[in-house]
Amino acid sequence: MLEGDQDQEEDQGGLRNDGRRAAELRKIRVRMGVFGQADGSAYLEQGNTKILVAVYGPHQPRGSAARAGGKNVGGIINCQYSTAVFSFSAGERKRRPRGDRKSIEKSLQLRRAMESIIQLDLYPRSQIDVFVEVLQIDGSEYCVAVNAATLALIDAGIPIKDYAIGCTASLIDSTSKNDEDSSHAAGVVDATYMEECSPGATLSIIALPGSSNDATKGLVVVAQGAGQRLHLSRLEALRNRALCGCRDIRNILDRAVRQHLTVHSQPSFSTLHVID
Amino acid sequence: MDKLKDPIICVPGQRLCVSDKINVPGPGTYEQHGYIYSKLAGVVKLAKNENVCTIEVHSMTEQSIVPAPGDIVTAMVTIVNQRFCKCVIKCIGDIVLTRPYRGVLRKEDVRATEKDRVEMYKSFRPGDIILARVMPMIDVHTYQLSTAENELGVVIAYSEGGASMIPISWTQMQCPKTLAVEFRKVAKVIPEQIALE
Repeated sequence: MLEGDQDQEEDQGGLRNDGRRAAELRKIRVRMGVFGQADGSAYLEQGNTKILVAVYGPHQPRGSAARAGGKNVGGIINCQYSTAVFSFSAGERKRRPRGDRKSIEKSLQLRRAMESIIQLDLYPRSQIDVFVEVLQIDGSEYCVAVNAATLALIDAGIPIKDYAIGCTASLIDSTSKNDEDSSHAAGVVDATYMEECSPGATLSIIALPGSSNDATKGLVVVAQGAGQRLHLSRLEALRNRALCGCRDIRNILDRAVRQHLTVHSQPSFSTLHVID
Repeated sequence: MDKLKDPIICVPGQRLCVSDKINVPGPGTYEQHGYIYSKLAGVVKLAKNENVCTIEVHSMTEQSIVPAPGDIVTAMVTIVNQRFCKCVIKCIGDIVLTRPYRGVLRKEDVRATEKDRVEMYKSFRPGDIILARVMPMIDVHTYQLSTAENELGVVIAYSEGGASMIPISWTQMQCPKTLAVEFRKVAKVIPEQIALE
């Protein structure tokens, strides 16, 4: 059995099931301003995970979020995380796109991530709505949703401190005895659905890379797992792997935003130059 | 930053320059750890004033605007009762809002004098277009409005015959068709007909 595992590892040559290496991301496609009637909108594909985000606001508070934050002096962020019924693969259909426990939990986590980058004191008694629709799921959908929400806020012209970048790092097989020699020992970034369902821990990290000098300040860690336990000595390596993925994603989104600014600039800025 | 003539595109979180006595952060930027960062995706502009250079970032996409206390807004009256009337805020200054906001105009805020003698039915009717000033917000859901100034009040009102009425005093308006006189809290503004002449 040991020889079989080792032969399997050597046959793959350190590659994953979809042909990527441990630190490689899936292909990212960005579109901003996809909705005309929303104040800001973004569409983001990361591999086969597809997320659509619309941002409305700042506007007058209404609804249940306004009543809950009635005593707040600052602004209110209302997040709604919705998964389409057709978003799962292999024919599975989700019965309830929003309102279940997972969606409410992810909406709360998304609201905390957005509150950390938006300066809410600029909008007293106002409300910003962020609507997230997951069109297709192939792993890391929460992190892709955070990235898409950041792009939608930029498209809406809302001042934010920095990008909120999410990335996952996953241990594919923690039971292998040859883990220390393998290139997957420190985990793989941008886990797919198959890798998330494998026996191992998946760590989702939302980071503000601009404030990485205070490494723990802008870090929101959302730990997910398929029931497996993670040894504490491997947490640091897994976290560093995810932060490297965050930095790469940030560079890709940065380039996409600059391209969007150049293409969709106002007529008075027709002589714009992109500075790299 | 070196090219003063060419516009510089920046994204949120991008470090622009060192923050010191010469370079001061302006709108669209913030200061952190001695550096000036951008908060918007847009164009960097330098506003030089004597020895101080203010760094500003102007966004290309216009942001949704929320009324602030002290703003002059244009609203339409929707519901009138004895204590207050409800309005829908349409414009803030000269800016037309993308979505309507709710406002409340209380009986005590209609006039600056004789507040106890105000009758709401003789001041506003549903469908009137009014100019009002936003007061500091008390209720979270609505904006408090006030017309307790000479220049604030009804600017457009329609009579039962459907014609736009002409103000004849600060409390009355007259229909040009039927010559019926109705009571309103009239704003002291120059009518469009006189302004066009």
